[in-house]
Amino acid sequence: MIEAVDTRAKGLRPVRADRIEIAAFVRRLDWVLLAAVGALLGYGLWAISGITEHDIAGNPNYYVVRQGVYAAVGLLGLVLAVAIDPDYYRRFKRVIYGGTFSVMLLVLLAGTVSRHSKRWLDLGFFRFQPSEFGKLLFVLFLAGFLADRAKRLGESSVVLQAIGFAAGPILLVFVQPDVGTAMVYAVALAGVLFVAGTRWTHLAALASGALVLILAVLWLLPSAGVHVLKPYQQARLTHFTNPSSDPSASTYNVRESINAVGAGRFRGRGVAGATQTNYHFLPEHATDFAFASLAEERGFVGVSILLLLYLLVVWRGLKIVSVARDAFSAIAAGGIVVGFLFQIFVNVGMSIGIAPVTGIPLPFVSVGGSAMIANLLAIGVLEAIHARGVVGRHRRRLG
Amino acid sequence: MASTGARARRPGSNRFLPPDPRVEGPYRFTPQLALRIGILGAVALVAFGILFFRLWALQVLSGPQYLQAALDNQVRSVRLEAQRGEILDRNGFPLVATVPGTAVQLWPSDLPKTYSAEVVEVRSLSQVLKVPMGQIWAGIKERKNDPVTPFVVRESVSRDAPILYLIEHAEQFPGVQVVNTYLRSYPQGTLAAQLLGYVSEVSPAQLKQLQRKGYQPGDKIGQGGLEATYDSYLRGRPGLAQLRVDSLGRPRSQLVVKRDPGPGESIRTTIDVKLQRVAQQSILYGIDLAQKNHHWAANAGAIVAMNPNDGSVLAMASYPSYNPAVYTGRVTTRRLAGYGLTPSTAEAHSYPSLNRAISGLYPAGSTFKPVTALAALQTHLISPSTVLECTGSYTVYKSDGTVAQVFHNVDPGVFEAMTLPTAIGASCDTWFYQVGYDFYKAPPSMGHPLQAWAARFGIGHKTGLDVGPENAGLLPTPEWRHRAFTAKTDPQNWQVDRLWKPGDSIQLAIGQKDLLVTPLQMARFYALIANGGKLVKPHMVQDVQEGDRVVHRFTAPAPISVGLDPTNLAVVQDGLYQATHASYGTSQRVFGNYPVAIAGKTGTAQKIISMPGYTGEQDQSWWCGYGPYNSTEPPSLVVCALIENGGFGADAAAPAALKVFQQFFKEQGNTGG
Repeated sequence: MIEAVDTRAKGLRPVRADRIEIAAFVRRLDWVLLAAVGALLGYGLWAISGITEHDIAGNPNYYVVRQGVYAAVGLLGLVLAVAIDPDYYRRFKRVIYGGTFSVMLLVLLAGTVSRHSKRWLDLGFFRFQPSEFGKLLFVLFLAGFLADRAKRLGESSVVLQAIGFAAGPILLVFVQPDVGTAMVYAVALAGVLFVAGTRWTHLAALASGALVLILAVLWLLPSAGVHVLKPYQQARLTHFTNPSSDPSASTYNVRESINAVGAGRFRGRGVAGATQTNYHFLPEHATDFAFASLAEERGFVGVSILLLLYLLVVWRGLKIVSVARDAFSAIAAGGIVVGFLFQIFVNVGMSIGIAPVTGIPLPFVSVGGSAMIANLLAIGVLEAIHARGVVGRHRRRLG
Repeated sequence: MASTGARARRPGSNRFLPPDPRVEGPYRFTPQLALRIGILGAVALVAFGILFFRLWALQVLSGPQYLQAALDNQVRSVRLEAQRGEILDRNGFPLVATVPGTAVQLWPSDLPKTYSAEVVEVRSLSQVLKVPMGQIWAGIKERKNDPVTPFVVRESVSRDAPILYLIEHAEQFPGVQVVNTYLRSYPQGTLAAQLLGYVSEVSPAQLKQLQRKGYQPGDKIGQGGLEATYDSYLRGRPGLAQLRVDSLGRPRSQLVVKRDPGPGESIRTTIDVKLQRVAQQSILYGIDLAQKNHHWAANAGAIVAMNPNDGSVLAMASYPSYNPAVYTGRVTTRRLAGYGLTPSTAEAHSYPSLNRAISGLYPAGSTFKPVTALAALQTHLISPSTVLECTGSYTVYKSDGTVAQVFHNVDPGVFEAMTLPTAIGASCDTWFYQVGYDFYKAPPSMGHPLQAWAARFGIGHKTGLDVGPENAGLLPTPEWRHRAFTAKTDPQNWQVDRLWKPGDSIQLAIGQKDLLVTPLQMARFYALIANGGKLVKPHMVQDVQEGDRVVHRFTAPAPISVGLDPTNLAVVQDGLYQATHASYGTSQRVFGNYPVAIAGKTGTAQKIISMPGYTGEQDQSWWCGYGPYNSTEPPSLVVCALIENGGFGADAAAPAALKVFQQFFKEQGNTGG
């Protein structure tokens, strides 16, 4: 009898406790960040529906439906990522690194070529872009690597090792070629080192090294006859500083993009009136230049809403760095936020002529499944860190 | 899963993996990290601040400017072809008309993007329209840098079966458009072809020169003849329409007409269509006569009929001719070659595009004798009563008394003393040889009176006719000889050839050797004889009409008197009358019985000609004259006829000229009564 009661009580208690724990865990999520990402998703889908309405005759919802499906898949991934303890990433960092590296190598060997670049793996139902997922995995690996050497971060050998490991994926992306994504990787590396607490002197040395490298690639080596970049890449990277110097190919996109942004004025021209987008003067307006298209259709008001939502995400992301329960979580969150900020700045900046033209998608807006899913996964990781963070622990202790 | 994560942090609970020994000590949120997060936050704020500022500048401050740029991007201006004006004869009868037509245009930018699909479309378009594929490819290539300007694949008058097929299967032919256009039509066929010229798309070379005047690629422009000279009147003003296009030039809206095309004005020529037709037939008649006289090489000719009082050209015929309609529609080299209109085929067809009346160069022969006579009279080398021997030959002696050269008369058996009118009437060469030698011996203080007078009569320079291309001809002078013969041009004999010798003057006196004139120059000179010594300016257009209203009238400059003594002129006129009416007159058998009194001179000029398979000296058959002579009214028509290689002037050219007079005076109701 007693035993029976006992057994029943024993059987019930853990279930109730689990329910309470789940509820408590859900409460510990950063709901402001989730709301911001939700708003970005909705806003992005709405933007894409307007941007691509005239792209496929007879099927105005083609892209927005696809984007919606990717977003749904991405949200599932987000939930999964929240559930996984981030510490597992640290423990399995070698697997992560090895996997990422091999898939990128596979892309180089068996990838699908599109617009002169080999970035995709064709899975039949889905064209999968490993470098987008790689951004997140790259940060997780580096964060794990540095967190494990937290006490020795002051040593330059650790920093150099980290750079050495990072160089592999960066080079693999660079030769696809995808200069933009390679830049995102490099900046994420810098962000990870920065948040991990690398010495200022080391950071300064790295910054000068990067500067020398950029000058070498863009200027010194070409004048010596060694061309690391293809001419069109070089032109895109350099001509944004002076668009009127080259009226033809390399700045055509930027010129039309600036026209589109400016023509949107304060309130936007609406979907029907957006001639730059609808008549294809603006190239790649569903992907790389989605921001310019949005600016044309929705004006300053429309892009301000988007940028403020991004700012909100960045702010919450930095907050998550501060509440992280361990070094790994903090470093990973920092890397994710820095990468995110860089992508936004370069994509928007290229649309308005203050950053080089690179094929970096606009998070949550540009059409593309891999980027959408990878970005939502990254948000999931941030949420996972937040839910297990210091504030959560305090709350539990207080409760 | 969530519970697993929660449990994992519980100390002592079953971890999935053992603790990592390298993680030493508890993690602490350090001030260092706080600083770095703060820096990242500041960087983010600055980055977003830059973006916001730039966006504000672009969208709010400069927005209107970029909006204009975006609007300009998509509006394409399209030129609307204006209806070209007509070319009318003097009575308003159309020589060239404009008819509505259909053009098949191809917009290269709208062709399929894949090469194979493009090939399929070009091939089927070529099959449907029966236009060679190569021609379509050439057109596409031509528009390589300007793929949003269409080119014409084919033009036709009616919407025939192939065009209806294209319209019905439009979806199979992206980029192909059937549009209305205007086409030139030539109701008179080959009539006055070289005078009229033709119309074609402006060439890149022309465009370079004419862009200032508003010509643009794809415009039609008059090529040669009246079409070219009066293009500014005929072409009208193209209209302007706008349509919205996308970045590939695909139309996204209907054409909106901003400015209607202004149709071109018509020009009314001085040509009389009936007289022109007779003139053309007369050349053929002359050629026929010549060939019956065993002048097998006779194959071409020219006739000019002009009002001697004001220089208006009533007819100007040149044979062989062509139908300018070959230039309508899509012109192909093969099609032109069939008519001898390409450089390589022109010779075999005896240069049909050459307007022999103004560009053909011939020695004048005896038709030049009145020039010599008037010059000699005016310079008092002879007087109206001078009598000279007409002999079978004329010998020039050197200063030592030996024979330098013998010049023969056409009629070797003659030995007769003649006055000037008789010498002109009988066309005695030896009589004029003597005058020519007198010119040679004239003191240097006189200059070169024969050439000077010939130049005043219009020989050796262009008449200034409003239709080209005109040749100036050649009036030989000692200076010209000295200039023309140098060690370079004549390495064998230049030191002798560059000297002006007695033979030069003697031969020039009868219009031979180096002299070259055009039929129009001779007609102008005979007009001067007819109108009492005034040089007229030949012209071909009287006015410009818009509908039936005359909007611009061309007034020919008043004829200029060259300062001839009327007595001298009368003697020459008498000579020309003798030539057509005296028993010894060279063309008496042609004009003697014609009721209207005609005065005129034959010419038989030797010219070395070159034809396919033959090079040799042939007689160019000339006749120039005017009528009515000694009537109460001034002479009303001057005619100059030339039959190439036609033999004696009286045999071919004179009968041809008579036909023109007959038509003219029949119309006038003047049958000589």
